[in-house]
Amino acid sequence: MQAQLDISNLSKNFGGLQALKGIDLSFQKGELVGLIGPNGSGKTTLLNIIGGYYDASGGAVTLEGRKIDGLSPSTLARLGIGRSFQMTKVFKRLTVLENMLVGALADWGLTRKAAEDKARGVLDKLKLTRLADSPASSLSGGQAKLLEFGRVMMLDPKIVLLDEPFGGVHPELKRFMYEKITEWNDAGATIILISHDMGSIFGLCRRVVTLSYGDIIADGDPETVRNDPAVLEAYLGDHHAA
Amino acid sequence: MTLLQKILLALVVLAAVLPMVGVPQYWLYTLTIGLYYAMLASSWSLLVGYIGRISFAQAAMSGLGAYVAVLTGQLLGWPVVPSLIAGVVAAGLFGLMIGWLTLRLHGAYLGLTTIAFAEILRITVTAEHQVTQGSRGLQVRPLIEGAGPVTYYYIFLAAAVVSVLLMLALLHSRIGLFFQAIREDEDGTASLGVNVTLWKSLAFAASTAFAGFAGGLYAHFVQLITPSMMSMQEMGYILAMAVIGGFSNVVYAAFGGVILQVLLEALREMGEWRLAVFGVIAILMLRFAPNGIFGWLETRLKRKDK
Ligand SMILES: Nc1ncnc2c1ncn2[C@@H]1O[C@H](COP(=O)(O)OP(=O)(O)OP(=O)(O)O)[C@@H](O)[C@H]1O
Ligand SMILES: [Mg+2]
Repeated sequence: MQAQLDISNLSKNFGGLQALKGIDLSFQKGELVGLIGPNGSGKTTLLNIIGGYYDASGGAVTLEGRKIDGLSPSTLARLGIGRSFQMTKVFKRLTVLENMLVGALADWGLTRKAAEDKARGVLDKLKLTRLADSPASSLSGGQAKLLEFGRVMMLDPKIVLLDEPFGGVHPELKRFMYEKITEWNDAGATIILISHDMGSIFGLCRRVVTLSYGDIIADGDPETVRNDPAVLEAYLGDHHAA
Repeated sequence: MTLLQKILLALVVLAAVLPMVGVPQYWLYTLTIGLYYAMLASSWSLLVGYIGRISFAQAAMSGLGAYVAVLTGQLLGWPVVPSLIAGVVAAGLFGLMIGWLTLRLHGAYLGLTTIAFAEILRITVTAEHQVTQGSRGLQVRPLIEGAGPVTYYYIFLAAAVVSVLLMLALLHSRIGLFFQAIREDEDGTASLGVNVTLWKSLAFAASTAFAGFAGGLYAHFVQLITPSMMSMQEMGYILAMAVIGGFSNVVYAAFGGVILQVLLEALREMGEWRLAVFGVIAILMLRFAPNGIFGWLETRLKRKDK
């Protein structure tokens, strides 16, 4: 079966630094994959390339058989790739509700009324209703994460890229996010989840990919990866061959 | 409606009755020019305040609209209305081009590039004197044959009100929301499927089209245009007007235009010093009341409500 998202020999250099060293990865439709690795191992860089924010230095990314290198982030979003950011990118001077509407209104087929109804429904689940008309600048870090998660929910993406979505989020709402991620996944969406929160990764994902210094050092089911000496070494070792 | 909105609406109504209560022609003339600046300051704030792109080409775009309107009339014999439209389209297309060419530029780089575009345009108009009469200036037919100051005043009042209303309609549509999202975070906006490239270019085009309209009208009102209407000094006035009125809101910027033009006339004895004074005021505003007089009033009045 052809992979939904295929990454082949992908590399990314920042000046002299090789953030990704020619990695191969493919994702089938409906997978729920955890992406882990120490700080600076290249996780966010990989997401940025898949999402069109960075150009790759080499290699290719293919979405449903179509090369997507060079497509803009907005085009990719419209092709069904939704993402959240490690450093949240909420629109601070817009209200929480307006933040939610931007993505929905990018679809010209949707009326403002319909978009608003949908947004209010999502905000309710995220316990942000009370803040709907406040500027997003008034949100806490955890609430900003939730808002970004909500903005992704508004898009109904078929591929969801989540970069540290749980940082600072209240446990109860984290459970809601778990449920939503599972629900998306059950409905056929492919999910790539980056998190340093191992409880979330191993609780949710059926496959875990580990990056270290721009290379994939492990890729398999959670149990195997958890016990992989290379993974333990990457996380615990204080030295690493450059 | 907030108290401030009521006050501003009352000012517009007052403006509409001014000619009937015997305001001297000289001041009507001044106010007419003020309304020209209102259109320029608000069109500038449409770009700077909402999508967060800086431009110093607004005066040049007004000049482009003016010269295209006048020259299509003189060289091609077009009637006034089609030639005004030609000016709007020319300025809009030029703005689209600037917007598209400067997509990846921000801050100082963007500002400097727009200065370059503005100066190239001004110098071209000055140099092409066979066509434009250069700095001697170009005679322009009147907007309406034999119309007096009161007629012009009403035309400019209507034009300014309609321009600002059109801008507000645009800004309250989903496009306005896209603009503001782009101002806040381009990558964040793109991640939601909004075509950032398209809207950044079109915001420039919309802003400059309004400037071109203002310029065309102005040309047919003053009936003599020179390249100095495209100068950085003019741009300085527009900037000061928008900043002092409040460039985060097109309505506030428009009022800034009228108020500063009236002050410019009232302080005539100060000559060139006026620009320096307004510059200092604008700088102080940016430091202490970044939302301008009306933005400051808005927060003051809101606080009182509570
Ligand atoms: N825009 C950039 N310019 C220069 N270097 C960059 C850039 N983005 C990432 N890097 C570098 O690339 C490497 C990988 O960074 P990346 O952000 O992908 O790591 P990460 O796995 O997401 O780390 P973390 O867990 O801390 O989020 C790091 O060494 C980082 O400094
Ligand atoms: Mg990261």
